[in-house]
Amino acid sequence: MSRFADLLVSTVLLAGLYATMSYGLGLIYGVLRVVNLAHGGVIMAGGYLGWVLYVRLGIDPYLTIPLVALASFGLGVALYQGLVRWLPRGAAGGPASLLLLFGVWLVLRNIAYALFTGNEQSITTAYSTRSLALLGVHLPVTRLAVLGIGLAIAAALHTLLRRTQVGRAIRAVAQNADSCTLVGIDVDRIYTLTFGIGTALSGIAGVLLATVFSFNPSSGASELLKAFVVVVLGGLGSIWGIALAALVLAAAETYAVLIMPSYLTTAVGFVLLVLVLVLRPGGFFGHRILA
Amino acid sequence: MTAPPLIPRRMAGVFVAGCAVLAVLPALDLSPYAHNQLTLSYVMIAGALAWNWMGGFVGQVSFGHAAMFGIGGFVAGRLMLHMQLPPPVCWLAGGVVAGVFTLAAHPTLRLRGPYFSIATIGIGEISRQVFTYWEEFTGGATGLSLPISAVQKYQLYWWALALAAAVALASIAIRRSSFGLRLLAIKADVDAAADVGISAALYQDAIFALSGAVVGVSGGIFASYFVFIEPGDMFGFDRSITFVLMAVIGGVGTSLGPALGAIVYVVLRNYLLASYPELHLGLFGVLVIVIILFQPLGITGLVRWLVRRVQRAASPGQP
Amino acid sequence: MAAAVSSFIAADLSPANRPPIAGETAMTHRTSPTSCHLLLALAVVSTGAACKPKATPAADRTEILIGATLPQTGTEARIGGQFKQGYELAFEEANQRGGLAVGGKKLPVKLTLYDDTSTQATAVSLADKLINSDKVDFLLGTYSTALVQAQSTTAEENKVPYVNGGGAAAEIYKRGYKYVFGALSPVQLLGTTLMTWIDEQQKAGKLPKPSKIALLWENTSHGKEFRQGISEFAARSGGGYEVAVDESFQLNGKDFSALLGKVKAAGTDLMLVDAHTQDYITMHRQYIDAGLCQKVVSYGARGAESDAVKALGQANVNYVLSGVWWNAQLAATNPLAKKFVEAFKVKFPDKTPEWGQALGYEAARALFTAIEQAGAIDREAVRAKLAALKIDSLLPGGVLEFPAATGGQMQASFVVQQNMPEGGSPIIFPKDVASAAGIAPNPQCKP
Repeated sequence: MSRFADLLVSTVLLAGLYATMSYGLGLIYGVLRVVNLAHGGVIMAGGYLGWVLYVRLGIDPYLTIPLVALASFGLGVALYQGLVRWLPRGAAGGPASLLLLFGVWLVLRNIAYALFTGNEQSITTAYSTRSLALLGVHLPVTRLAVLGIGLAIAAALHTLLRRTQVGRAIRAVAQNADSCTLVGIDVDRIYTLTFGIGTALSGIAGVLLATVFSFNPSSGASELLKAFVVVVLGGLGSIWGIALAALVLAAAETYAVLIMPSYLTTAVGFVLLVLVLVLRPGGFFGHRILA
Repeated sequence: MTAPPLIPRRMAGVFVAGCAVLAVLPALDLSPYAHNQLTLSYVMIAGALAWNWMGGFVGQVSFGHAAMFGIGGFVAGRLMLHMQLPPPVCWLAGGVVAGVFTLAAHPTLRLRGPYFSIATIGIGEISRQVFTYWEEFTGGATGLSLPISAVQKYQLYWWALALAAAVALASIAIRRSSFGLRLLAIKADVDAAADVGISAALYQDAIFALSGAVVGVSGGIFASYFVFIEPGDMFGFDRSITFVLMAVIGGVGTSLGPALGAIVYVVLRNYLLASYPELHLGLFGVLVIVIILFQPLGITGLVRWLVRRVQRAASPGQP
Repeated sequence: MAAAVSSFIAADLSPANRPPIAGETAMTHRTSPTSCHLLLALAVVSTGAACKPKATPAADRTEILIGATLPQTGTEARIGGQFKQGYELAFEEANQRGGLAVGGKKLPVKLTLYDDTSTQATAVSLADKLINSDKVDFLLGTYSTALVQAQSTTAEENKVPYVNGGGAAAEIYKRGYKYVFGALSPVQLLGTTLMTWIDEQQKAGKLPKPSKIALLWENTSHGKEFRQGISEFAARSGGGYEVAVDESFQLNGKDFSALLGKVKAAGTDLMLVDAHTQDYITMHRQYIDAGLCQKVVSYGARGAESDAVKALGQANVNYVLSGVWWNAQLAATNPLAKKFVEAFKVKFPDKTPEWGQALGYEAARALFTAIEQAGAIDREAVRAKLAALKIDSLLPGGVLEFPAATGGQMQASFVVQQNMPEGGSPIIFPKDVASAAGIAPNPQCKP
């Protein structure tokens, strides 16, 4: 019983992690149809920024989140205005957009190496290794924070998209950008905003992940790949879909260890990815996307 | 009216001449380092061109070609190690197995655009993890060590050249043939193509399998070249990205652009590593960004643009 | 390069003006100029690169060229940086003495170092470049087993002596290569050394008999050999140890909670893991989070790293064992180690050398000694001297040699250290270099 409870708790906490690191990718893809291959790089950059603020200025990592979010938003806006918007119209989703952002990722990696060397870093505070004991199960404080903040982000995104004017515009553009121009929505501005928000989400995820795991300039690849799985499972462009998909993925990986060697459990996610794409490409909540 | 020849005589002539030059190059006091770099380039050229059949001709961008590359490499490696068959037989066997594997990925061909790409990422990653785990096949984390033979490595030059030449000819031929036209039709609008009787499934399967098989063969030669191969490296996401990079740098969709991209990639990367060790990542990233933004058809696009500029300058009065 | 581009542009003009042949579409017409130019450019570039650099005759040599690659970016960058420091110190010391004595005069040694980005293909290509383009005389190795395994084949193919301190897997040396020499002891010995100490504790009654072991290992050559060392010891122990959990995990994993759940469920006494630093930090954190507390915990060669202590907090790393190839504390008992540490502190103030720097330094020193013994910049002569080498060393055991029986891999013993609550990680085994007694079982674990 205790084992089962342990696994359940692990699943929920892991899901919180996966969801948090997927929102940025999902938002950008849902609206711009651009696969942000720099997502991993921004996560890494966010982690470093949070770490620098914590180590140099002594700001508590969770309090650095607004600052990191702001800086990442700025980065996202700059990336969009400077690079992404110049992609040819039909290029969204094609190799061009993928590789453009891949190039950005390489540059981010280089900057990190130049500034911080290749050493492992981690954000550790006095309470980093504490955990709450609840009914015989240990809940690490850092993971709880990730889960909590992740849920807050989901709620905030939901509110933004459903209750605000800007959110409505974003959803409209995601559905049909051309029609939006017709009704007077500045599509370019919406794209800029969305890319900025998406990058900000990735940056926040970076800080949060940095409190749980160590990182170095090459980090980000595995987060990117996992985020892919989550976003596809959840139906590209659905916030709650992402949250649910994160749960499904976390459960699959955690319980898979009961029937297969732990080494292979990460493959489970990718098997799910391929199955979902082939059998039900809309994910759990999205629309059908076959040509 | 008869159909145009798959390979125009003049082009064939230039091609044969070029290959002849390359074939005798080693006899002309070629430095061993250049000899090896060229061998590697030929292998990469073949891989990039084959990738382009899928990514450029049909427009289905694959981020999982490392799976076929790795399968080809390890099948060839195992055959060479345990059955002592002559290397070319092993490479071909590797290619065949890789091609069959690609056929098994048939269900993903129904997907279009980024969905196909993401599915291939999934296939690539699954392959990497499963094959790293499958020790009898790949040796697991320890990898596969083949016996060293300096003579064999020297001769790889001509085998690799032969492969690259064959794949280049095939690229040109496919592009100019009715098969290629059908692929273009599928790329442009798969539904309309189906309306005129072009079976997307059949043609995509064919070209996907062909692409996978050739990449598998190149994996086999790669294994013979490096003598030591390891699943994490052969099946890795980075390796898949390399194929895409080479094709994009050279010109996705053009018949020979990716070959140029492969050369640039191999040469440029080594140059950057040697001369700008702290900046090689960033410089390469900037190069990719610049290419994507300013010349989506890569080097081929750049050359064509230059040609048009020069032509316009040379004959200003004409419309 | 410029020549290629200009020939490119020049050749463009003629075929492009050719009128289309009947039946050719504009699209297909375009392919021919590019293919011509491709081949022409390729021919030009290759003839350009074809010029073989002339080799300097032996008598005119002014320096000894040594080549190496190290991972300065990528996953192994951290330890790659340490090896670089070790190489730099060794080269600086040699050149301060005026260089190496060959053929009656002293020649300085020059290091050509490239970044192999922690990728095997790059390590191999760059080794090829070093040998065939930069014309180095000898090679020093790179770091991490996979890279050394790949790169050493290039050295062997070209018959260039290759001395490395970065390849620990015995696999590398089992291929019958003659030119590859390894200063890093096999990982299997690490497992055996740990178990030897643990066995002492068991014999003294401090650990239960039989003890259940949870054996977790990263899926690499390194991990496999560690596992071999532990399981073989357990098998030989005649019932003293039972390996209850035996699982591999992927490098840079994010979540080990399921795996650790297995460990918890199996109720093991000892947890022995082989992991890279990043995984050690991640796993140990989750180990603490899961409320696990084993009587003995080890992460193989990891445990005492300062960045890990910072990341995990001192209280959580107490009593963790690690087995390393070298430790600065050996300066207390080994005069060469003492000299090395002092010289290191002069060159890199405020830094204490770890095993990476020491092995890099020692590998270079071994090569230098062999060159001086051979008295000539002659690859075969130096190779023979390396094979017969036996010199005092800063490594545990005090002697450096490359026995032919092991394929040229050094077999020094490891030193086991244990993190202590007051900070620091003293050596607890073997006895002749130990400065503290090891503690088992972990007193922090509630019974």
